Amino acid sequence: MANQVYLQLFASTEAKVGQELYLRDIARLEGEEETIQRLLHLPLYTISRQDNTHVVIDILTVLQKIHTAYPEIRIMNMGPRQIVVETTIQRKKMNLVLFCFVWFLLFIGAALAIMNFHEDVSMLAVHQKLYHLVTGENDPHPLMLQIPYSIGLGLGMILFFNHIFKKRINEEPSPLEIEMYQYKQDIEQYLAETETDRSSKTWSLKSSSPP
Amino acid sequence: MVLEILVTALIGLGGGLAVGSGLVAFISVLGIIPRLVQLSKTYQAIHAYEIAVIAGAMAGSFATLHHLELHLPRVVTMPIGLAAGIFVGMLAAALTEVLNVFPILAKRIGLEKNIIILVMAIVLGKIVGSLFHWLFFVDY
Repeated sequence: MANQVYLQLFASTEAKVGQELYLRDIARLEGEEETIQRLLHLPLYTISRQDNTHVVIDILTVLQKIHTAYPEIRIMNMGPRQIVVETTIQRKKMNLVLFCFVWFLLFIGAALAIMNFHEDVSMLAVHQKLYHLVTGENDPHPLMLQIPYSIGLGLGMILFFNHIFKKRINEEPSPLEIEMYQYKQDIEQYLAETETDRSSKTWSLKSSSPP
Repeated sequence: MVLEILVTALIGLGGGLAVGSGLVAFISVLGIIPRLVQLSKTYQAIHAYEIAVIAGAMAGSFATLHHLELHLPRVVTMPIGLAAGIFVGMLAAALTEVLNVFPILAKRIGLEKNIIILVMAIVLGKIVGSLFHWLFFVDY
């Protein structure tokens, strides 16, 4: 059992176009030290321009590569069955005009949405009634109530997303960070399950012609 | 007569049950209470918060159904307004989050590292929109 190696693919990784992926870039290994050192530097795949934004590498193609190079090593897969490699073409500079447009859109949209909401639920009438309840006076514009309300509105959103007091209050991830993570994971899972075939095909072509 | 009272009471009870459970379901789906508990690290006080929500809902329905005047100074309305605003703001934030707006937008325009800028757009939009509504829009 000297050549038994346990392998665990990472869930996802990033690579540049043109970069050559080695086994150490996509998996953790456990086993005999010397065997692992050999395996870690096994070239697997070179990211090309045709790969677009994501490449899926299947465990079977990894095993195929390893067995072609080192037929005597026995691999035990301990982790996910495929890894999604995100290709990072040199990050395009953010389009400032586009960004300003999106920012403006969100700003106006939020303002309009809150106004519609206020009209929809008769917020003014509720505020007037509440003001009357507390003070006994009738004021068509209870601004003493409404201006703190407006500021609180923004405060509540910030509080929910926990951005400003991030490290000070606690280190648990904010809902937005969890949301980003889940969105990324959804994309990866989708790719892993729908694009396996495509990458395997290019793979088997490559592995059939030894380097 | 007795029958009328019984039927009316039954209808009222039924309506209250439906609306009350709907309200609680709505608040819990959006996860505002867990969020506040997490921020304030008061996990032991969850039952007290439940009571707060129930008491608040009952006080609110009492205030809307009966005429009530407390004759307190005007300044008292300021903390009430602030609290109401924070709660509605959290509702709005939670709704935006449920709809998955930020992750998709941030990914589209390549701003994954600085989503806070997008969040601030919405936050400022809410504040400005609300102030505009009360200060100018209402009179038109």
